[in-house]
Amino acid sequence: MIFIAIVIGCILGAIIGIYAPLVPYTYSGYLAIAIIAALDSVFGGLASTVKKQFDLKVFVSGFFGNAILSMLLTYLGQKLNVDIYLAAIIVFVGRMFNNLAIIRRYYLEKWTNRKKEVANTEKTAQ
Amino acid sequence: MKIEKKNEIIMAVIICVVSIVLFAVMFMQFKTIEETDITAIENMREAELRTAISEWKGKYEATQEQLDTNMKSIAEYRETIEKNEEASDLIDEDLKESNMLLGKTDVTGEGVVLTLNNTDNYTVTYSHLLELVNELRYAGAEAISINDVRIVMTEIVEVQLRMMVSGQRISAPYVVKAIGNQTYLSSTLSLKDSGFIDRYQASGMDIKLETSRNVKILKYNGEMNIKYMKEVNTES
Repeated sequence: MIFIAIVIGCILGAIIGIYAPLVPYTYSGYLAIAIIAALDSVFGGLASTVKKQFDLKVFVSGFFGNAILSMLLTYLGQKLNVDIYLAAIIVFVGRMFNNLAIIRRYYLEKWTNRKKEVANTEKTAQ
Repeated sequence: MKIEKKNEIIMAVIICVVSIVLFAVMFMQFKTIEETDITAIENMREAELRTAISEWKGKYEATQEQLDTNMKSIAEYRETIEKNEEASDLIDEDLKESNMLLGKTDVTGEGVVLTLNNTDNYTVTYSHLLELVNELRYAGAEAISINDVRIVMTEIVEVQLRMMVSGQRISAPYVVKAIGNQTYLSSTLSLKDSGFIDRYQASGMDIKLETSRNVKILKYNGEMNIKYMKEVNTES
């Protein structure tokens, strides 16, 4: 059910995005950092699901909160003439890799476990 | 069981919304980047151009201000020019008047014309002319000429029995023209006993007096030089 919801959301979002008006180039930087923050939240959510610790409130608040905060920080950086968005990208992308690693390890473990089980059952069958 | 189902639905809806937002923003960004790729350079220079615009705006404003001040000063100059023109008009008039009085221009106006001629027993001498000129001046003549020689600085001499007026030789008959109040001039000249005409006509001089509305007196055609005199400096 949730999987279906995600697929529908993706398709709808793509359609809306395609027909939405163009964002001025100056603001596309903010949008990019927001997207990175949102993706980080998504991967964080996936990782927590894998760990069976998923909390909807944490996910949603992280999703929007991080996006807005990163945009604000980027704005502040522009005002201070410091590229704060670089720090945000490093943090978010690093976390994304972390979360990906967690997911990868989980599935790898699952896979190897199943293989072992299969081998065991084969052994017992013999 | 029911509550779990409800929770699941809520979760699905929220995740759907979240993914909608994420993908919408992502695709917007994709499109923006794709569209602006061609004009990326110009867009990247936007900030630069903006500063340039503001700079030019400032310059424009400064120039505008300067233009305003210049306009103002031009108007001031115009005013002073007008004033100067008025002044120069006045000066021009003054000059004209002075020239007329000095005898540097041909003048015309009402006046008298006297014709003096020698008779067999009476000769007109320079003293007669001097006296006549004197009397005319006394009677208020503004311009006097003898045989069309303008009398400027009364200078009538006799050189070798020849009459010289203002350095020009003249001979009888002497036509003396004077511009002034007609009646005043003629009455002064023809006063009984003391008037010029009465006195010398009795002696046998041939004098004719004509009054005219339109006496024309030519300008002085000699040179007027100032060599020695200077204006007194009133300031010191």
